[in-house]
Order: sequence, then C-alpha cells, then structure tokens
Amino acid sequence: MTDATGTLQMARTAPATPAWLRALIARPGTVGVLLVAPAAIFLLALFVLPVGNMIAYSFFRQTPTGELDTTLTLANYARLGSIDLYRKVMVTTLRVSLFTTIGAMVLAYPVALVMVRGHPMVSRLLAMVVIAPLLVNVVIRTYGWRIILANSDTGVLNWLLAAIGLGPARVLYTEWAIVIGSVHVFLPLMALPLAAALGRIDPSVEEAGRTLGASAWQAFCRVTLPLSVPGLAVGSTLVFSLTASSFVAPALLGGNFAKMLGTLVEEQILSVFDWPFGAAIATVLIGIVLAINLLYVWLVEKRFPAPGQSR
Amino acid sequence: MAGGTPSALGPAAVPLYVAAGLVSAFLLAPLVVPVLISFSDTEFVTWPPQGFTLRWYTKILNEAEFTSSFRFSLLLGVLATIGALLLGTPAAIGLTRHKFPGSALIQALLLSPLIFPALVTGIALLRIATALGAQDSLVNLALGHVLVTVPYVVRTVTASLKLVDPSIEDAARTLGAGRLKCFWLITRPQIMPGLVAGAIFAFVTSFDNYPVSMWLADAVNIPLPLMIFTLTGRFFDPGIAAIASLMILLSVTLILVMERLTGLKRAMSM
Repeated sequence: MTDATGTLQMARTAPATPAWLRALIARPGTVGVLLVAPAAIFLLALFVLPVGNMIAYSFFRQTPTGELDTTLTLANYARLGSIDLYRKVMVTTLRVSLFTTIGAMVLAYPVALVMVRGHPMVSRLLAMVVIAPLLVNVVIRTYGWRIILANSDTGVLNWLLAAIGLGPARVLYTEWAIVIGSVHVFLPLMALPLAAALGRIDPSVEEAGRTLGASAWQAFCRVTLPLSVPGLAVGSTLVFSLTASSFVAPALLGGNFAKMLGTLVEEQILSVFDWPFGAAIATVLIGIVLAINLLYVWLVEKRFPAPGQSR
Repeated sequence: MAGGTPSALGPAAVPLYVAAGLVSAFLLAPLVVPVLISFSDTEFVTWPPQGFTLRWYTKILNEAEFTSSFRFSLLLGVLATIGALLLGTPAAIGLTRHKFPGSALIQALLLSPLIFPALVTGIALLRIATALGAQDSLVNLALGHVLVTVPYVVRTVTASLKLVDPSIEDAARTLGAGRLKCFWLITRPQIMPGLVAGAIFAFVTSFDNYPVSMWLADAVNIPLPLMIFTLTGRFFDPGIAAIASLMILLSVTLILVMERLTGLKRAMSM
C-alpha cells in the first residue's frame, strides 16, 4: 500500500525523474534497501571485513626478526595451548567468567523479584539503583573497588574487618577482586532480563500451585524458577561473554598477578607488537563468545520450547 | 518498606527486601566511597577520610591533561552521536516500514556489535587502520565509536516506530507529501522519544567507551576514560576521587533526566 501511494506521489511531483529510476523506486523493497544501505555498508566495511582480516592474520606468523610470514599456520594457537603461562591465563579467564556469572545470578535474583513484585516506590528506587552503575564509567567503578579492596589497612574492607576483629584480607590483585568488580559491572545486565522474564510470569500460575498445596518455597522452585530460566539464560550469556572479554577490571583489579585474555592481548599487541599472536588470542575470545551464544540458543530453544519465549 | 504488598512477594517478603537492600549497598558502595574520599584533607587516598577540603577539586579542574581529555571526549561523543543517528535512523525505518529479502540478516548485522566483544572490534579496527596507513586518531576513533553506537539508535528508533500507526504516514503520502516531507512532518515528531533515547545511549556509550578507544587513541587524542586509567597509576592523592565524583555527578544527572523523560525502566528494556 505504501508503495502504491509512493508511485502515485512520484508520478505527480517529480516529472523530471527518469522512467527507469521511477520504475526502480516503484519496485517493492527498493526504498527499504536504499534506507538500510548506508548503515549496512558501513558495518560491512568497518566491522565484518576488519574482523575477517584479523582472523586471517591469526594464521600468519611473526618471525623472531619481526618479519611477517604469511604461510598459513596454526603455530599461534599451538603456542596459546601449549605454554603453561598462556594456558593458565585461559583457565583464569574461564574461571573468573563462570564465578562472575554465578555471583551475578545469585545477587540479581532477589533484586529482580523485588523490582517486579515489590512495593511500587521500592521497585522504582531499586530500578534506579540497578541502572545507575551502568551509566557510570567502568574505570571509575573499578577505581572505587580499588579503594574498597586495597590490601593495606587503609582499605575500606580491611577497615570494616578490623572493626569486627577480623582480617586483614588480601583481595586486591587476586582473581576474587576481578570477580567482585565484574559482578558489580555486569549485575544490571543479569537483573534487567531476569526482571523482564519474571514480569512475564502469570501470577495465577503460582497461585494455582499454592492452591494445590505447594508451600511458597515449593511454588518458587517448581514454578517461578523454571519459568525465569529464559531471563537467566539471556543474562548469563551477556555476563559470561562480557567478563571473558573485559580489560579494565582485570587490568586494575588483577594487575600482573591475575592475568586474563583481555590483558594478555593488550600486552601482546601494544607492548610486544606480536600481531599474529595477538590476533589469535582475539580469535579465541570470539570463539568463547560464540560458544556461549550457541549454548544459549541450544538451552532456550531446545530445552524450553515454550511459545512466546523469544528474546 | 513495611508498606509493601506482601501478597505479591509471599511470606519471603522481608528477607527479599533485606537481600535487595544489601545488594543495593554493594552496587552503591564503589560510587559512594570515592565521593567521600574526594573531600579528604590527606595527601594520599586513605579510609576513613579525614577533615574536609575542596582543594582536590581545584587541583583537577586546573589539570590540563584532565580538562583537554574531557573536551576531546565531548567532541568524540557528539561526532559519534551524529553519525549513529544519521546511519541508524534510516536503517530502522527501512527495517520496520519496508519489506525486502535479507532484511532479517541485515538487522542481525546492524545489532551485532552489541554482543560482539568490543575489545576485539577495537583490535580489528586498529589492524585495518594500520594496514591502510590511516593515522588520524580523531577520524579512527569517531568511526569506531559510530560502529559501537549505531545499534543503540537502531534499537530505540525501531521500538518507537512500532508504536506509530503507519496509516498516518500513508495518509500523508496519499495527500501529496514527499517521502522526506512525510518523515520530517509526520514520522519524526512521533518517534522523538526513540531519537532522544538513542542519542543519549549513543553519547553515553561513546563517552564511556574504553575497549575500542584503547587501541585507536594516540598520544595527542586521549579520550577521558583512558586518561583516568593512566592517572590512577600515577596519582595516589584524592584528586582521582574528585574526578570520579564529578563523573558520578554527571551520570546521576543523566539518570534523573532519563527518568523524567521516558521512565528509566522502559528506556532500558527496549
């Protein structure tokens, strides 16, 4: 219908337009393609092609003299998998990402429940508290954690521990510091999809469970929790892949003692200038994110094939 | 808190409110602590803060590195926002108002920078910039920032367009308005909330971006997040805390503005 009136319009106000152009514009879809084209071309040229080019680079090799050897090789990947230091970095990355995802899930659940079902005033306030950190720069937030977790007795955590007769704890420059900082950075990305999933649950389903004799806890475990899995899955996918590929939190909170793939790739490219090896690390990061997203698709679409559960 | 609706949360209402309160404390702690320390009259960052002074604020506001990076990030954010609006708005209209083969694929392409690791996007851009000899860091940074902000505009404008009845646009076209005139007079005013939300998201994303900027910046053009990162390793006085406080103040203002404009929950869930 839009296209029919469009043809009418073109014919009336733009008589100078050549016939072939008019015919082209009148074809269904042409205007849509023209509208989308600039953005699509921009993304192809500055996103798809560069990423492909970088992946290709990961199969080249840098000779000890710094020359680029363009015979295709898996040497960079072999190096990443065989040298203990790099293997440790990969294990640390996966472990920190897993703990961060679990931590975010545990902390986000009560928050999301109260956001959806709590008193409207509390819910509104909580939404602001959850979203606020998202809009504060990640360097600033991580700096806040450096002050709190500082290992000296002038750190906030150790001050608190001393007040109750415990400590001092050494948290900064360990994996735990990265986990704490990352949970803080990514918690909103777990809480928001979870709240959305909880909001979609029809309260009468839970009431039915309660009427049939389930305790509140049973109703939660058998009805609410399973129905919120799609939200948890979306949140976990986001949190895991963003933690695995993060740089600021591991750099400022882990330092040299707890390295992750993000800090390793920065070192290899900007300090060692080993581009092919850096490209291989980056490609592994793409692989991790891809694997997590495929896992998500498998989990939600194969295991929970309920209608209306699309993202 | 006692005024809550216990029926909705069940008998677990009290523990849930307590848990949500504790998580809120966790979320706010790293934002509140730097603010308190920024007034501390001590030479180093220490807890608890002692005394009261505003000298750290005067110090950082006179710090040329901080102010020039701040100005550069503002410029970069504005450029990225304009670019993202110019590319993202027509794309969103094309995807929602027109049918053409491959549109689902194109939509996935336009939104893909959101889930793709930004660190890797930055590496790929640096690789291509090096290969092409593109050394103007402002241009490189602006292009990189447009890339990561376009998806936000596509998303918010698409959401707004779905709320607008297309038959109003059809009526305008039937009555003789051209496509551009129809967009400007009919569509644009109706999708204004989406355009504003998209612009805010694009600007904030650019202003806060680290993982793309870290590869494309040079010694002259240093975006603010990178500058703050460097300063945390060089300065150990509460000056950094003062910078953090100013940035937090900026974010809080933005949150309140967004809450007023669109309702925060709605803006975030789009």
